[in-house]
Amino acid sequence: MADNSQPKGSAPVRIDFEFRRELARKIEGNLASFCYQCGACVGDCPAATYSDEFNPREIMLKVLYGLGSELLVEDSILWQCTNCYNCAERCPQEVKPAEVIISLKNMLADRGIYPTTVEKIIETFEKTGRTTPLSPAVDRQRERFGLPPMKPVPMDEISKLLEPAPDEEADAE
Amino acid sequence: MKPFAFFPGCLIPVRYPAMEFAIRHTLPNLGIEIVDLEGESCCPDPIYFKSKDKVAWLSVAARNLTLAEDLGLDIFTNCSGCTATLSEAYHLLKDEELRDKVNKRLKRIGREYKGTSRIRHVTTLVRDEAGYDAVRKSVVRPLDGMKMAIHYGCHLLKPSKIMNVDDPNNPEVLEKMVEALGATPVRHRNWYLCCGKACQVEDIPLNMMRALLSTVKDEEAEILCLICPTCFSQFDHGQMKVSKHFGDDFHIPPVYYFQLLAFAQGIPYEKLGFDHQRFKPESLKRYVPASAGGLEVVN
Repeated sequence: MADNSQPKGSAPVRIDFEFRRELARKIEGNLASFCYQCGACVGDCPAATYSDEFNPREIMLKVLYGLGSELLVEDSILWQCTNCYNCAERCPQEVKPAEVIISLKNMLADRGIYPTTVEKIIETFEKTGRTTPLSPAVDRQRERFGLPPMKPVPMDEISKLLEPAPDEEADAE
Repeated sequence: MKPFAFFPGCLIPVRYPAMEFAIRHTLPNLGIEIVDLEGESCCPDPIYFKSKDKVAWLSVAARNLTLAEDLGLDIFTNCSGCTATLSEAYHLLKDEELRDKVNKRLKRIGREYKGTSRIRHVTTLVRDEAGYDAVRKSVVRPLDGMKMAIHYGCHLLKPSKIMNVDDPNNPEVLEKMVEALGATPVRHRNWYLCCGKACQVEDIPLNMMRALLSTVKDEEAEILCLICPTCFSQFDHGQMKVSKHFGDDFHIPPVYYFQLLAFAQGIPYEKLGFDHQRFKPESLKRYVPASAGGLEVVN
């Protein structure tokens, strides 16, 4: 697609549809397709207010262009999102940028890229069924308030729910 | 008394048992019977595990909901994060395709999600099942003259089409609940801000919390009343970090609403775990019980 008609200094945009298809397979990942770049999501975004880089409209634009390589990286800008859903409240197209961002994080996870703090909490959940670790001190504290000890989570059941069914992947294609 | 299944989550029972104690003490006084679930797990959290795999997240959430369905009861939570996950699961699972996918996984453990149990945050449960008047009547130690700033947090209200709790741009439920204690709610300029916990860089939440705490200070509020343990950890532990980073001394104690209600219902200050907070709501100590015993209802 070599093209001399491009204005000087700007490269032709090639949309990576494979990236968009992969995102569309995540729950509510495809909502970004409805974004018309109005920017209503930006004004009330706390992360955009207090960060020099974070801008939900720009993230949706990158999604539309299929610029996964800019989003699916170590220390991705995606982790600056506060998950407050103000963007979803403001969006006239019901895109839910916060939700699309979580779908993008699922793609980061598929590639094994997490911040250490996030990875640690996920591991605690996968091992114990809780995100906050238990200890004997926890039960002693509970006793102080007349509360019974914490009960273990039936992990045999939880573990069985975490793996996709063989046909589930096929369904998604 | 009307029974509801109690979903305590992780953060409150593990790290803030005083909040769980307060819930268990205050709800029966409002005619709400607490029924414990058997075998519940993390909701799972809407920030970390949801970021890994939404389908697995949804499947575990659906399993938690089936526990309440087994009892034929609606479910209530005491944490805005749990409310977000379970409400969103309830919403997403109205989609047949997604429900089939999740039920295929649940079949492995002999369960099926039906969608018969509604989800409510304890605050809206009290509003809708008991009413503000019942809260007012349960108070034996009114907190007259106490100015309280309110932090709604995000997940009680938003996304509003899923949570269906209140107007996200002008909510009133917490103001009314604070008024029922006899206290005066104040709306600070940055009431709309998030606690910042989900944000995985340090600067943004620090700046956000600083902005929020400054406007709470401007209103001369004595307490920052909130209803989410994650927001609580931000404004307690996090407030220390803000002070250290910027050299500000806001000294605004955050307090979980139901601990305030328990106090107003006559539970002594010393029994509510306030000594564990970094910023202790010592201004509460000026309120003495209405009668010598302090526990009988006067109205």
